[in-house]
Amino acid sequence: MTIASTPSYNLASAQDLFALTKPRVMSLVIFTAICGLLAAPGSIHPVIGFTAILAISLGAGASAALNQWYEYDIDAMMKRTANRPLPAGRMDRETALHFGVGLSAFSVLLMGLAVNWLSAAVLAFSIFFYAVVYTIWLKRSTPQNIVIGGAAGAFPPVIGWAAVTGDITIMPLLLFAIIFFWTPPHFWALALFVNSDYSKAGIPMMPVVAGRKSTRKQIAVYSLILAVCAIAPFALNMTGVIYGATAILLSIAFVVLSFRVGLSKTEDPLAMKAEKHLFSFSILYLFTLFGALVADRMIIA
Amino acid sequence: MSEIDTTKAPMSSEEQKAYQARQKHRAIIMAGLLFFLVVLFYLITFVKIGAAAS
Repeated sequence: MTIASTPSYNLASAQDLFALTKPRVMSLVIFTAICGLLAAPGSIHPVIGFTAILAISLGAGASAALNQWYEYDIDAMMKRTANRPLPAGRMDRETALHFGVGLSAFSVLLMGLAVNWLSAAVLAFSIFFYAVVYTIWLKRSTPQNIVIGGAAGAFPPVIGWAAVTGDITIMPLLLFAIIFFWTPPHFWALALFVNSDYSKAGIPMMPVVAGRKSTRKQIAVYSLILAVCAIAPFALNMTGVIYGATAILLSIAFVVLSFRVGLSKTEDPLAMKAEKHLFSFSILYLFTLFGALVADRMIIA
Repeated sequence: MSEIDTTKAPMSSEEQKAYQARQKHRAIIMAGLLFFLVVLFYLITFVKIGAAAS
């Protein structure tokens, strides 16, 4: 091994290492993990609960670091990502790889030793899934990449649940399914009206590969599956009326907005009101749905 | 086995200062994180011992 007399601009700053964890994406991960943890039956000591959320956050940060380590070449081609630490030349790839692998190992060990080994195993699999299956294997090869990526983002509530109960039942799997089927309409709505550089970078995004018409149809189909998954916990008598009423109302609105997108034919991104409404509403949808799940559980408890 | 790469130009004094400032900043943050982890592991140990005892 060679130790180079590294110029100062190549010594990664603490801010750049933090940026490598994609802190904005992490906020959704933390929120859904906390909801999974609070909605689970049983109780967890606050210190152990905090440690579980910390381990999930560190695992998500590690996945993001490994993602940026692998995608430095395509990040450099897109305006939105060109200023990230690796493409901007503020950090070398080896640092990002070591940071990502080290953080992954630490997060899984922390979860296993402090919480339980089932949640640690799911956390380890979620890191592997995002970094290897999604980032390295499928992202560059299939227009269904967002669907597969959605699975990686759907693990946190399952891990939060497993941290409390030590098992995985139908309910956490439904929470997984909600995020999994929410992701395609959310991202494709955005991809329809935002002129991204994905095609320039060679990433086969659905609107580019299959066209806007096909993407709009798929958004409508996914919204129906999402509605079924979101209402299922109430229909199967696993939640109370608070969650049930919220899920039904939100899902009706989501399906209506998605079908408006499905029927839309506009090609001008500036005129894509239906897509913009759906994108904004999708964020509100997920936060409110999971919030209602926790409120329901708290009130029943 | 590590060895020093002598093929690169040495840093200027300004670069060295910036490099050391970053090193210091990272070291301070690392110290803070280690202290946080010491407290966290201390608390986890107490919770685990309490749970095992009850």
